[in-house]
Parts: sequence; structure tokens; C-alpha cells
Amino acid sequence: MNDRLAIYSEMAQENSWLSILPEISLGVLALLLLVLEMTLPKERQGLILRLALFGQVVILLAGVVFSSLFGVATEHTSFNGLLMHSVRGDVMRLFFLLCSLLVCHLGHQYASRRGLPQVEFIHLVLIVTAGLMLLAQSHNFILLFVALETVTVGFYILVSYSRGSLYSLEAGLKYLILGAFSSAILLFGIVLLYGAGGNPQLPGSSGDPMNFALLGSFIEANPDNILVLAGTVLVLCGVAFKIGAVPFQIWIPDVYQGAPIPVTAFLAVASKAGGFIVLIILVQGPFAPLERVLVPMLGAIAILTILFGNLGALSQKNVKRLMGLSGIAHAGYMLLGIVASFQVPWAANAVVFYLFTYLLASFAIFGVMNNMGPLEDGDMTLDDFKDLARKNPYNAAVLAIGLGSLAGIPPLAGFIGKLLIFIAAFKAGLYGLLGVAVIGVVLSIYYYFGWILEVYFWPSLVKAESEETIEPSGPGLIPAANSHRIVLGCLTAGTLILGFYQGALSYLL
Amino acid sequence: MTVGLNAFLTVSGLLFAIGVFGVLLRRNTLVIYMSLELMLNAVNLALVSFSRYNATPDHSMMDGPVFVFFIITVAAAEVAVGLAIIVALYRKRQTIFVSELNALKN
Repeated sequence: MNDRLAIYSEMAQENSWLSILPEISLGVLALLLLVLEMTLPKERQGLILRLALFGQVVILLAGVVFSSLFGVATEHTSFNGLLMHSVRGDVMRLFFLLCSLLVCHLGHQYASRRGLPQVEFIHLVLIVTAGLMLLAQSHNFILLFVALETVTVGFYILVSYSRGSLYSLEAGLKYLILGAFSSAILLFGIVLLYGAGGNPQLPGSSGDPMNFALLGSFIEANPDNILVLAGTVLVLCGVAFKIGAVPFQIWIPDVYQGAPIPVTAFLAVASKAGGFIVLIILVQGPFAPLERVLVPMLGAIAILTILFGNLGALSQKNVKRLMGLSGIAHAGYMLLGIVASFQVPWAANAVVFYLFTYLLASFAIFGVMNNMGPLEDGDMTLDDFKDLARKNPYNAAVLAIGLGSLAGIPPLAGFIGKLLIFIAAFKAGLYGLLGVAVIGVVLSIYYYFGWILEVYFWPSLVKAESEETIEPSGPGLIPAANSHRIVLGCLTAGTLILGFYQGALSYLL
Repeated sequence: MTVGLNAFLTVSGLLFAIGVFGVLLRRNTLVIYMSLELMLNAVNLALVSFSRYNATPDHSMMDGPVFVFFIITVAAAEVAVGLAIIVALYRKRQTIFVSELNALKN
């Protein structure tokens, strides 16, 4: 009994609670919001929103300061191998915090215009963000699964958040069924790896095959084991669902169309980034010895994903479906970076950089869409953007720069992101894949510029009947229009600055 | 007579396959839901049996059974959310058949 206790106390020594302080504070903040909603009188409810935004800004700034001052010097694990602390993990944590801040801002605007409850929305966003931040540091399949499910279950609720809208509920149900299906597939893969890695008759087996490092050395010893191969493929299928890669992309257009705009943005950026960081952790960790199988497999998936996304988006008129389909294409470009990372290690960091450029551009575009008035947002088409340049020149400029960045037009951040990935692919010798990706980029310019044409060059005969949108000012908040302008301005400035100067993120490369 | 690991894995694989086909072929949302649960339980069975048969005096392989508890908890959370969505959708549309839920399309 006593030596058991000794083992446990030794394990507990490795628990470094300080290192997951941001996640803990997010969770506490989320619970605090619910308590305050119950206890505060009606007229002071505006305080809750301010507290939520302020708390996130504090956590974000503290995270930036701490990671730049006492950044992770060497990669190390904690919590007995559950977590792995690395520079990339820290950068991704800040990425997810930034996402949640932007989503809370958009969500406040969206919910107050439609009379939806706001505090629960922010609560869910914070919990999902904490899950994503743990996901970025996971080093064990149990932690990975639990963090992933925290995120996914939170998203089920967020997608169907607009309870009065048929679109939102139906999207929620579709996401739920397909999400649970992919989780089960992922789990079955994990179990096969667990069973093979724990088999004492095989070389390199260990008592803890859920651990990525031990599993990695086991896979290196038995790269041809059929259970290992099947398990790897199933796990990657589960991850492919998250990033929306072919053949697990069917849910994307429907769910993006039905979900409320802030949730669509959150799904497009944070959920996809979560899938990619898991993919990076897996292919650079336990699955690295399977390069011979994974490079052709992921390469084929990348080609199909790029072609599917771009060809589907060509004839799309519904803007949310268009963002979904073009997002599939972006997932394809990032998969190209993942394939290249087997040969060129910095390609994984190029993918992280790409995610940042994608965040800036996507949130700017969704922010403008959020401002387009009180129509049922699932039905918003390109026609609704006709002549936006005259009705609201500021939003039109933000939209044009965002779309330009997504298309990869030279001075903008999106161009640098694509360029880095393409250079990595060139160095890795993936010429065929590179060719397909370039064709995809050319196709994407067609539909992104179609949208910009609607905004700027619509020969309008009709006078702009009314000023853009009615802005109901939120309870106790600074007038929504101004804060929204500032947020959009910051995003656009970020896109422009990252296009010229990548110093802020260059330590990744 | 002792039952070997392969027997457990066969049952688990069969359960999983039944679940997959149930999700893909059935039209009633509730039945799809049951099939999803079946898939998760197939995983649980495989986890427990792997951990039982791979255990050695050095390694007790207890993380498998612990993982099962996590999976059961997650499945419960998923069902709670899922049934809430189905109920809300039924109130709106008076149907829970996937083929009739087709508001979202091109």
C-alpha cells in the first residue's frame, strides 16, 4: 500500500498547475458569469459582458507577456505526461484566446440584435476555448479525447443556439450526428493503437500506450503492424472531420449556413485550427515513423480537398456556404503544409502562420456579414452585398481587404501564408501537389473577386434606400457601431501589417 | 473454458459495424442516436478487454478502464445535448426523420 502511495505522490510532483493557469481562469470566469447573471439586478447586467471581455483581455495580455518573457525554453511534459509544453503550443493558446475574444464581441452584437440570451453564449465560448487551449498541448490520447469532446459538445449547443431558427436547429442536429459519428471513429482508432501498443509480445510495447512519446517509440518498432495502421487511419479520419478534409467535408456547407454568424466564424477558424494543431502534434509525434504510408494518403486527401472546395465555391451564391466551401480549400492548402512537414520541419510552423492570416481575414469578413442587417442570415447571398461600397465604404474596404487576403493577393498577409507553405512544399519535392494548389488558388481568385465586384462595381440605378443597419446599442455597452469599427479596423490593420512585416511571428519559423 | 481476447474483439467489431450501418442507413434520428451509442459501447468493450488481456505484473494497464469512465461521461453529455436539440426541432417541424429535415441546401 505504501509503495502505491509513493508512486502517486511522485506522480503528483509533476502537476504544474501554474502552467495551465489561463485555462483555469477561463473556466472560473465562465462560471462567474453564470453566477453574476443569477445575482445581479436586471439593470446592471451590462456589467457581465464588460467583465467577460475585460477578463479575456487580461488573460490574453498576461499570456503574451509571460510567454515572451519566460517562454518555454525546452519542450517538457507535465501532469505525468498528459501535457506537453512547447512554443508552438503557447502560440496556439494565444490564437484561441484571440478567437474567443472576437467571437464574444460578434456574439454580443448578434445576440443583442436578435434578443437571444447573451451570458450563456459567452459562457459556452469560454469553455470551448479552454478546451481548445488544452487540446493544443495534449500529449496523451485520454486528454486529447476529453478536450476534443469539451470543444465538440460546446459547439453542438452553439450551432443550434438560435432556437427560433429552423436553420440553426437543423444545422445543430446535422453537426451533432456527424460529429458524434466521427468521435466514435476516432475512439475506435485510439483503442486499436492502445491494444497494439500495450501488447507485451510485441517489441517496444509499454504500460502506457496512450502516451504519445511511448506510442511513438512503439510505432517506430512495428511500423507494419496491421492494428497500428488501421488505428492510425481511423484516428486521422476523426481529425479530418474537424478540419473538413475530403471525404469528411459533407457537413461543412450545411452547418456553416445554418449556424449563427459568430458561431460560423468560430467553427471556421478555431475548430479548424484545433484540428490542425492535433494533426501537427500527431504527425510530428507518434505517427512520424509512418511517413511511408501517411505522405501519399494525406497528399491524396489534400489534392481532393483543394479541388472540392474550390470547384464547389465557384458557383456558390450563398455567402455562408461560400465561406464554408472556400474554407475547405484553405484546409487543403494547410494539409499541403502538413504533408511537407515530414521533409521540412518548419512547414508545421508555416501552417500556424497561415492559421493566423486566416483568422484575421475570416473574422473581418464575418464581422462585416454580422453588420448586414437583421435578415435571416442563412439566406444571405452575394446579391445582398450589391453596392456596399456606396452604402458603407468602411465595411466595404474591410471586406475587400479580407477577401484579398484569403485569395492571396501579394501585399496582404494571406499571400505570405500561402507563399511559405508553397516554398515548404517545393523544398519537400511535392511538385504535383504544388501544381494542384496553384490551380486551386487561381480558381479561388475567380469567386473572391466576384464578391468584390458585387461590392464595388455594381452599376446601381437604385438609390441606397436606407443607411446600412439599425444598431441597437447593447445594455450598458459603448455604442456598438464604434467598437465594431475599431475591431474591424484592427483586423484589417493586422492583415496589412503581417503582409509586410512578419517579425511578430517570425520566431515560429 | 476460457474466452480469448479475439472473441471480445469480434463482438466489439460487430457492435461497431452495426452502429456504423445504423447511422448511415436509418432515417429516424432517435435510432441514429442509439446506433451512435452502440459504437461508443463497442469501443468501451474493446478498451476493457485489451486492458484485461495486455496486463502484465509490471503494467496493470489501468488507463483503459479509466478511459471507459471518461467515454461514458462524454456520451451522457452528448445525449443530453442531442435530445434537447431533437426536442426543439420536433416542436418546430413535427418530424424527426432525417429525410424530411432538408431546409439547408443550395
